Formats: sequence, C-alpha cells, structure tokens
Amino acid sequence: MSDAVLETKNLNKNFGALAVAQDINFSLNPGARHAIIGPNGAGKTTLVNLLTGVLRPSAGAIFLSGEDITTMSENERVKHGIARTFQINTLFMGLTVIDNLYLAIAERFGGATEMFRPAGHHIKVQEQALHILTTLKLEENSLTVVRELSYGRQRLVELAIALALDPKVLLLDEPAAGVPSTESHIILDAVDNLPEDIAILIIEHDMDVVFRFAKRISVLVRGSIMAEGEPEEIATNPEVQAVYLGEADHV
Amino acid sequence: MVPNHSSAAKAVNYLQTRHRFHWGEAIPWILAILVFYFLPGYRLLATQILVMIIFALSLDLIVGYAGIISLGHTAFFGTGAYITALLATNNIPDPIIGLIAAAFGAAILGFLSGWVLLRTTGLTLLVLTMAVTIMLAELANDFDEITGGFDGINFTNSDIFGLIELDQLWYSSSYIYVLIVLFLSFLFIRTIIYAPFGRMLIGIRENPRRMSAIGTPVHQRQVIVYVVSAAIAGIAGALWVQVQGNVTTEVYAFELSGDVLIMLILGGTGRLYGAFLGATVFKILENVTEQVLGTDQPYWQFAIGLVLILTVLFARRGLFGIFEDLGNKWKERGQ
Amino acid sequence: MSPFLNEISTVLVFGLAYAMLLFIISVGLSITMGLMGFANLAHGSFAMMGGYVTVTLVTQSGVPFAAALLISFVAIALLSIPFERFLYRHLYRRSELDQVLLTIGLVFASIAGVTFIWGPDPQLIQMPNYLKGSVDLGFNTFPKYRIFMIIAGAMIVAGLFYGLERTKIGAQIRAAVDNRTMAESVGINTDRLFTWTFALGSGMAALGGGLGIQILGGIKPVFAFEYLVIFLIVVAVGGMGNIRGTFFAALILGIIDFAGKFYFPEGGAFVIFAVTILVLLIRPQGLLGKN
Repeated sequence: MSDAVLETKNLNKNFGALAVAQDINFSLNPGARHAIIGPNGAGKTTLVNLLTGVLRPSAGAIFLSGEDITTMSENERVKHGIARTFQINTLFMGLTVIDNLYLAIAERFGGATEMFRPAGHHIKVQEQALHILTTLKLEENSLTVVRELSYGRQRLVELAIALALDPKVLLLDEPAAGVPSTESHIILDAVDNLPEDIAILIIEHDMDVVFRFAKRISVLVRGSIMAEGEPEEIATNPEVQAVYLGEADHV
Repeated sequence: MVPNHSSAAKAVNYLQTRHRFHWGEAIPWILAILVFYFLPGYRLLATQILVMIIFALSLDLIVGYAGIISLGHTAFFGTGAYITALLATNNIPDPIIGLIAAAFGAAILGFLSGWVLLRTTGLTLLVLTMAVTIMLAELANDFDEITGGFDGINFTNSDIFGLIELDQLWYSSSYIYVLIVLFLSFLFIRTIIYAPFGRMLIGIRENPRRMSAIGTPVHQRQVIVYVVSAAIAGIAGALWVQVQGNVTTEVYAFELSGDVLIMLILGGTGRLYGAFLGATVFKILENVTEQVLGTDQPYWQFAIGLVLILTVLFARRGLFGIFEDLGNKWKERGQ
Repeated sequence: MSPFLNEISTVLVFGLAYAMLLFIISVGLSITMGLMGFANLAHGSFAMMGGYVTVTLVTQSGVPFAAALLISFVAIALLSIPFERFLYRHLYRRSELDQVLLTIGLVFASIAGVTFIWGPDPQLIQMPNYLKGSVDLGFNTFPKYRIFMIIAGAMIVAGLFYGLERTKIGAQIRAAVDNRTMAESVGINTDRLFTWTFALGSGMAALGGGLGIQILGGIKPVFAFEYLVIFLIVVAVGGMGNIRGTFFAALILGIIDFAGKFYFPEGGAFVIFAVTILVLLIRPQGLLGKN
C-alpha cells in the first residue's frame, strides 16, 4: 500500500458550484504506466493541475512517497520529484534546445541563483543536457532555436525538459496532441523508451496510444473516476463503451 | 556517429564560450576615452549620457532580461539621489559612501515594493509601479523643507579618497569618475547575465509558466533581480546629483521613467549594449533638437513620440537590432 | 447648520462631481482593456483632444457649451476609428510592453501637437449663464456646475448601463468581454464590435475632457500624462472590462481624492495612491474583476 510513489485521497476541486474533481482516489507505484482517459471536459487537465500544485484541492490530500504534499507549491513539488509536460507546448521558444534543458537542469542542481560564475563553467549541467538530448535523438537540434523546430520536435523538447528534472513521477498531458501523423512515431517511440523506474501517468485522448502504452487505465467522467483496471477490462467494460459510443455520436 | 558527435561538440563549445569577451565590446570604452580627450567641450553632456547608460542598464535587467515592465524606475533613481544629497548636507559628503548608501537605500525600497508589487502582473503591475513613483514624488514635494522642493538643495562633495576633487567646471575628474562607476556596474551586470542567474532570468522572460513547472520559485527570483536593479538605479541617481552638486524633486519625475524606458527600447532590450546605444542617441538627439530648434516649442517631444511609434512597429529590436541585421547582410555578401 | 455637516456635504458634492468625471473618461479605457486586452495609455490623449475641441468651439466659434460637448464627442469618436483600424489592431496580439510603448509614443506626439496649436498654458472656458454661480440647497450652497456635473454624470451612467444591459450591441459587448472565442462562435463580428466600442469609449473620453475643463482649472497639454495615471488606477481598481466595477472605483477614488486634498492640503494627493496600492494588494484583479 504505502510503496506507492504518488497517491491521492478523496481529492475534490470545486469552481464555485461546479465540481471538476470528485473524490478521486488512485495511486501510482514505481515504474507504473497508468493512463487516464475520458471525454472532453472530464477534468483530466484539472487533475494534472491538482497533482502538480497549479491548483489547490478544495478537499482531500496528495501524498508523494508517503509525504503529504497537498499544500506544497508547484515549484517545491518539482524539487520533490514530480514533473509534467503540457498539453499545449509551454517552452522557451526564443532559446536554443540545449538552453531549454540547461534551465531545467541548473534549477535541479540548485545552481540557478549563482551570479558570479559563467554558466558555461557548469560542466555537469552540460553533460546531463547532452545525455538527455542523445537519448531522445535531439542532439542534432541542440543549437536550434525552439521556435524554428517542427511541432513534433517541439513536443520532444517538451518531454526532454520534463526528463531533465529527473522525476520520480512524470505526468504526460496528451504528449502526442497536435502532432501530424507523419511525426507521431517520433514522440510515441520516445514515450515507449522512457526509463523504466519512473512512474508515469499519461493523460490521453487517442485510444491507440493508450492501449499501446498503458498497463492500467482509469476512466474519468465528469470529474470522478468511473472505472479503473487493466486495458482489457476497460476495453470490454460496457459502461465505458457507453460513454465513448455516446461521445462518438456527438462527434 | 560522426555528425552527432560534432553537433554535441558544437553545443558544448557554444555553452562554454559565449560569456567570453568579443573584441567589439571594447568599442564603447574606446569611444568614451576619445570623447574625453578630443571633445572636452561636450564632457558635461557625455557625463550625463554615461549616467543614463547606468540607469538604462539597470532597467534592462528587469525589462529586457526578466520581462518585468516598469514605468516607475525613477523611484529608485530619485531615492539614490536624495540619499546621497542628504548625506552630503549632513556632514557625510564622501562620494563613495554616498554611492554605497544610495545603492543600499534603493535596494531596500526595491525589496519592500518588489515583494508586494511583483505578486501582480501586466497592467496592474504597471499601474502599481507608476503609483509608487508618483507617491514618492508627492511626498518629496510635500516635505519640501527636507527635499528643497522644486528649487532643490545644493551640496558639496568631499574629495574622492581625500585626494581627487569632483570638478564641476571642466568635468574632467567627474567624467572619469562616472566612467569608472559605469565600467564597474557594467562588468557586474554582464557577469550576472552570463551566470546561471542571468540564464534563469531569461527563462522567466521567455515563459514564467514553464519556469514554475521546472521548480523555479518565480516570484522570489523576480524580487531578487528587482532589488539588484533598484540598487544600480540608485547608484545612477546618486551620480546624477553628485556631478551637479544639486538635487531637485525632478529626480522622481514620472517623465524620467518614461525617458529611460524609451532609451532602452530605442537601443534594444535584453542585449546589454542596447542601453549604451539608446542613451547616447537619445541624449544627443535631444541636445541637437533643442540647440537647432530651441526649447520654446515641443519639437523634441513630438520627435520622440514618433520615433517610439516607429520603433515598436518596424524595429522592435531597437537600433542594435538594426545594426545586427545590417552586419549579417554584409557578412552574407562577403561569402 | 453645523459646520461639520457643511464640510461633509461640500466634500461629497465636489467629490461626487469629480467621481462622475473619472467614470465618464475611464469607462472607455476599461472596456478597451477588458474587450481587446489592449493597454491604451493614449486614452487620456483622446480626452485631452476632446477638451480642446470643446474650448475652441465655445470660445472661438461661439457654439453653445452643450452643443460643443456633443460635437467633440462625435468628432473624437470618428477620429479614433482610423487609430483602431490601422494602428492598434496590429498590436492586439503583441506583448503588453509593445502596446504600452506605442501608446506612450502617441501621448508624446499628441501633447506636442496640441502645444504647437494652443501653446502650453491652460485654456479656460466661459460657462453659459445657466451654469454660473451657485445654488442654495437649503443646508449649504454649491457651485451650479458641480451639481450639473453630477446630474449629467448620473444620466450618462444610467444611459450606459441601460445600453449595455438592454440593447443587442450591449449584450454583444458583454458576451465578448466575458469570452471572446465563444462570442465569435455564435456569430458576433468582434472586429466590428471592437471598432465601435473603441470609438464609443474615445468619444466618452472626449466628452469627459470637455466636461472637466471647468473643474480641473482649464485644459492643458500635460493633461494627457497627468491624469492618465488616475484613469489607469480607476480601471485597475475597478477591474478591467467591468463597467460596474469602474463606476464603484470612480466613486470611491473620486471622493477619497477630494477628501484627502480637502482635509490634508499638504500630502493629500498621495492618499489615493495609498488606497490604490492597498486595494490591488488584496484584490489584484480589482474590486469586481474576474480572475
């Protein structure tokens, strides 16, 4: 039970009278590959924001490796090992790829406030940045300004920054969203090859991605978890099918 | 894989060498020394330009690097100016002590105002920076028995290190004194910019949202750079009044906040030398306009308004950006 | 009549008249910022030009005061349209800094422009007879013009609220401030809406500029800078794009400002800034602004 890296207890969030998260309970073990699916407006991104500390829950608690982090700020949680990617690219668009990674790694090593030594003297930071770029096959683009990369490659930088934080828990908010099909294999391969010891929670719309990647799936509908289980269970669950077929009708 | 290896090597080389001095960086200092020897008649104007460069550099730290908009930077300039002047009239006329006290005083004000103001963003922040400055200006006017009001107060500096007098006739020692302070301030800011702290500031400018998501306490870091910037603006204010031996409530003028922002935009933000170029061009043009067309009509004001509009529409990277583009074209043609 | 009540009523009437002026001018700025997300620091310039148009019509062409106000409203509203179409529109998506710089440029140019034409000294206006002198309300006497200002202001406020709450264009404006994408998806032409709203706001500013000449001791070029801060403060304290909030902010700040200067002639001017800082620290989005 308590070997979970990330665990929520009765997590609730209300915006006024609107409940966007209701009694959400789930946990991630080390190395988990867990997907959260659900129709539009189910509260998936709200859940990511609650877990990362962008939003404060109205009730309930969040634990990271057994420690209560419910009131911790976003940046403190990062230092404790939660990293995320964004559904819409949230990058340092005017900087080179390697500078994007540099910022994340310098912050993790605690050197970001150093004022009097050139950034170029931090050899360890550079080695780490290059290592991650190589793993994600981005090293050719090290010196490219992010704005000039294709959208698919930008998604890869989005992932690279999160990896640079050396997280225990990684939250991927629709990693392949907006990527043209010609490029999607790049990002999906990268997600497949993420280090095994990281617990990963993936928010996804695309069922192909979910069933390719996840070992466990939770279905989020109107702010609460409707079903949770292994992929086969979810795929055959009549309630889930009803929700998705119902949605398909509207599309 | 040879190409991979070489791109990695290139990246490392880029990171490890970009803080090194380029020969072109010597140009402004050589020019400053040439002006001293060959244009002694313009030393007063040149001294004012040097002070404005320091002021604009301090603003570049927050506007150009950390992405904080302020229309109230004279709060720190003015505070530095008054601290120095009031020390001098109260038997502490040493210019160096004056500078240090100005930096500390402005830094404290920067900390107090920054801590609360920087919780807001955008228009609210802009309004609050203006409000703080105007409030200080009102206070300075109301307590005119201390500040001297619009007429100001005169004071005398003692000699620097008890040896060198700051002359207000030929501006020889004053010019050198200000140039040295500018050089030291510039080195300080340049070091910060190329250090991890400076990289982090650029990150905040580019995307505060992501900075928070990589573990940066953004508000706290913004307060730090605000304090550093305030201290340097305080030094600029102190120099401004030291070389004139006089201070008036004009040092808190809202217009000056606008002017220094315009100098910075004109030169180019977030590129260190933009402040040099912008302050120089601004002050020279102002001087020329006033000498040629006189000060009875607001030609200068009209010109600066027009220049600002054109800069925003067509040359957002400032004069420095224009020079860069021209330089790149010239290089391309050479190849 | 007790001197205390006398004082209080004076502060209230003078403060209220000033508050009405602040609202009439600031409301356009508030809508521009809420609707277009545009930081228009040149808003005070439109007010200033309205003031000059009014003064010139009254003193040089002998146009009646009320007609002059109306003409300057229409003239400045029309004048503002090309500014929105050809200049501001390019900057809606640019950074706040760019918007601020461009509009400061406009302020400088407009101040210089009116100085070329009218000179730097304040232009005074001769009031028509029916607005001269004072009126005795039994417990105290007040200048007629202040009373007129309050009544005119109240009528404008009522008209504006009616227009926004009850007319189709008002509903469209409210919808677009609330959620622009949504408004566009239901077929509102936001481009045209922006232009008309901007023109209306600039016209209101011009009206305020004309109405304010008497209260503010004449109209002068530095007006565009001197009062800009106050207008911005009213908008920020009220909450951008919130007309009700702008009204409350104008009321509170107008009366407090007058009271401050009345009771503390030395240093009273800074009371309003202290209040502003306090309010915005507690509610950075303004009194009635949305998060």
